[in-house]
Amino acid sequence: MVYWEIIRKSYRQNLQYRLSHLISNGASAIFGLIYIAIWFGVMSGKEGTSPYAMREMGHYLTFTQCTLWITTFLTPGLGISNSVRTGAVSFDLMRPVNYFLYVISHEIGRIAYNLLHRSVPIGITLSLLVGLALPANPATFVWTLLSLALAVYLGLLLFYLVGISSFWTTEIRWAHQTIVAMMLGLGGQMIPVNLLPDMLGKIAAALPFACILYDPAAIYMEKIPPTAIGLQAGWALVLTAAALTVTRLARQKVEIQGG
Amino acid sequence: MFFLYRKLLAASIRAQMQYKLNFIATAVTTAMLSSIDFLILSAILHRFDHVKGWNLYEVGLLYGLASIAVSLYRVLAPEIHDFERYIVFGELDQLLTRPVSPLLLLLTRNLELSRIGGAVQGLVILIVSLGGLAGQGRVTWLLLSYLPIAVLTGLMIFFAIGLATATTAFWTGQLKELQTFTIFAPATAANFPISLYPGWLKLLFYSVVPVAFLNYVPMLYLLDKGGAWPLLLVAPLVGGVFCWLSIRFWQFGIRHYHSTGS
Amino acid sequence: MIEASGLVKTFRLARGGNGTLGALKGLFTRAYTEVQAVKGISFTIREGEFVGYIGPNGAGKSTTIKMLAGILHPTEGEVTVAGCSPQRERKEVAKRIGVVFGQRTQLWWDLPVRDSMEILQAMYKIDDRSFRDAMERFNALLDLHEFLDIPVRKLSLGQRMRADLAAALLHDPPVLFLDEPTIGLDVVAKNKIRQFLREINRTDRKTILLTTHDMDDIEQLCSRIILINHGQVMLDGTLDQLRAQIGLPSVIVAEYREPPAITGVLDGVEQVEQIGNRLVIHYDKRKTPTPRLLAEIGRWGEPVDIQMKEPDIEEIIRLLYGRVANPARLSYTSFSTWY
Repeated sequence: MVYWEIIRKSYRQNLQYRLSHLISNGASAIFGLIYIAIWFGVMSGKEGTSPYAMREMGHYLTFTQCTLWITTFLTPGLGISNSVRTGAVSFDLMRPVNYFLYVISHEIGRIAYNLLHRSVPIGITLSLLVGLALPANPATFVWTLLSLALAVYLGLLLFYLVGISSFWTTEIRWAHQTIVAMMLGLGGQMIPVNLLPDMLGKIAAALPFACILYDPAAIYMEKIPPTAIGLQAGWALVLTAAALTVTRLARQKVEIQGG
Repeated sequence: MFFLYRKLLAASIRAQMQYKLNFIATAVTTAMLSSIDFLILSAILHRFDHVKGWNLYEVGLLYGLASIAVSLYRVLAPEIHDFERYIVFGELDQLLTRPVSPLLLLLTRNLELSRIGGAVQGLVILIVSLGGLAGQGRVTWLLLSYLPIAVLTGLMIFFAIGLATATTAFWTGQLKELQTFTIFAPATAANFPISLYPGWLKLLFYSVVPVAFLNYVPMLYLLDKGGAWPLLLVAPLVGGVFCWLSIRFWQFGIRHYHSTGS
Repeated sequence: MIEASGLVKTFRLARGGNGTLGALKGLFTRAYTEVQAVKGISFTIREGEFVGYIGPNGAGKSTTIKMLAGILHPTEGEVTVAGCSPQRERKEVAKRIGVVFGQRTQLWWDLPVRDSMEILQAMYKIDDRSFRDAMERFNALLDLHEFLDIPVRKLSLGQRMRADLAAALLHDPPVLFLDEPTIGLDVVAKNKIRQFLREINRTDRKTILLTTHDMDDIEQLCSRIILINHGQVMLDGTLDQLRAQIGLPSVIVAEYREPPAITGVLDGVEQVEQIGNRLVIHYDKRKTPTPRLLAEIGRWGEPVDIQMKEPDIEEIIRLLYGRVANPARLSYTSFSTWY
């Protein structure tokens, strides 16, 4: 199938950067370590007041530091803005494939690469330092995988929406930065969403951003019930509908104005 | 030299004003986005009160100073930061046909003004934190008058790190990965008290990438956290020495380039 | 004006392994291959000479230019440019030379040409009067005023090259190094550049060293040619001497409606190849004037298309080694005529 081919090609394409990625994995682990150190500093002597024990905080940050590379650190705008700028997008739209699937297939290849060459080594490194947490209930593994898959898909959708906005705006840098900041800030990278102050915490938990980093991590650590997957699936439906609608509008725009 | 610099400054502003909307959008988002980090920190300290004995305003002082310093470095030395391209595309050759030192040419070639957003954000956090500390009666004239020196020290330290990192491109031809280690990670770490980190990281922040000196070390004395007054002199001195060292390293790199051409 | 004696430049190339493991290994251990890019080049160029420095890709042209300009230091040998050593007095040499790299601009990408000029004025400490005079001259010779206020990124390639030339000459250097200044330009733009170069060479007595792949540049501009290959000087003399040495055949490719019947071969025609309806004719211009050959071609049948080609530098090198030109590898450098 064509999408499977694209995924494989894009995976291979990424292999050539293995060495430099190996180096940046070290840097990513250090970032993880900095966040963990900050939390240890914050919580030392105050563990009783938090739903997370100090060790658990280390596990949480390790988990998110790994999933960042498959859900959040994707190609800006999934590369759509580049092909809009070079005009290659009109060819892409002309191809006898679904444009949305075509674009995300390409990114999925990269995500698969990141999973094996970034998430896994970073996870191993940080686990050596803070220990590995295993869920008590084996079913949790299944729920976590399901939740992660949805998280990856939601990340793809948000980046796709940013990318496709370049049909109208040409420049997506600020939109990209904003969406990433939301995914990090309100998504639970630095702080688990349920530790945010009352109202903010409640709002953040309901937004799609928390579905990406926080939900899979919290499900894995059995801090929230697997029913959170329902919310993820709901957002996935809404955003898929949005993505398909915007794609149709973009196609119309290209057909009328010639790109 | 000053005349040339003024000319380039004016030209750089004019060039960036051609993309006015983009410029403003970038500056504003940069400022907003870096504030999110700090808001998250306030949320954490709102719940947990202090981090290793540093309250929100004290951390804010560190955070503001580090933000201002790294942003000013990005504003003033974008061509050093992106030096890789001069090696990869051979653009350094052009600079070496000029009757001015290549380092000066790089420094005067461009200013990345949209990064000022980051400095403004740092300044806002600094002022808010000073306000909070004043409420606790802990702002002294000495603290206030030392702040410009701290900013300058921080600028020197980030410039030294940035230049030394850039110099490695003479041999490796690539910077981005190393910069994460030497600039981005230390800059993030310097937002918080260095005492948080495990020993080997602390050692690095006091030696190879001496970000500890830009805010943490002088604040130990100024915020009365057990430091002595000579720390105020040590910090800028470290900044100066590191600048000198990295310029020497850079000159070594240029000589290497003359004999190998990348 | 320019003196090079016994120039040698050796590069050490790291031998990288394959794959992640090889690249990792390369980080710690380094195996080197020594490559001699320039192997003992000597020449003297006097004031006011216009020299074409030619050779195939990888012959050591740009390495030599970089040594003359002070970018690279020679492994062995001595260079002086306008009385200074580029190796020891780089900044002094920089004040006395102008450099144009055809593929890259030295101007500030987002700034109007005028701003770039003013920055260079400050950089080279040019007084206002000399600056005004120079700009007036460039306006007259290069029509600089037509695009002075346009940002460099919006200029056409020809305009950009004119601006780059003006920028290289702003500080009135006695020596000019030009690396492929006409690359990618159309015929009109090329002519404008050539006219300008001729003018500053004749009127201002500028010493010019030009590298190019375009034989027309050489033919129209250079009083002397230094041809190098494999890092060594193959020939140092005039274009006529080069011609005499290798004959420089021209090539005509004629396409006929029906397979032509060749009746007798003219003097000076070195080789005729027939492939179906097509004839490929190698001939010596000096022995057989082109119009005469064209008339002859007309007699052989009914031509539908005739193209004329001039050999480029790569071809000349091959000829210099006495190998027969391979028509399939001739590139179209001159023009084509349609009948």
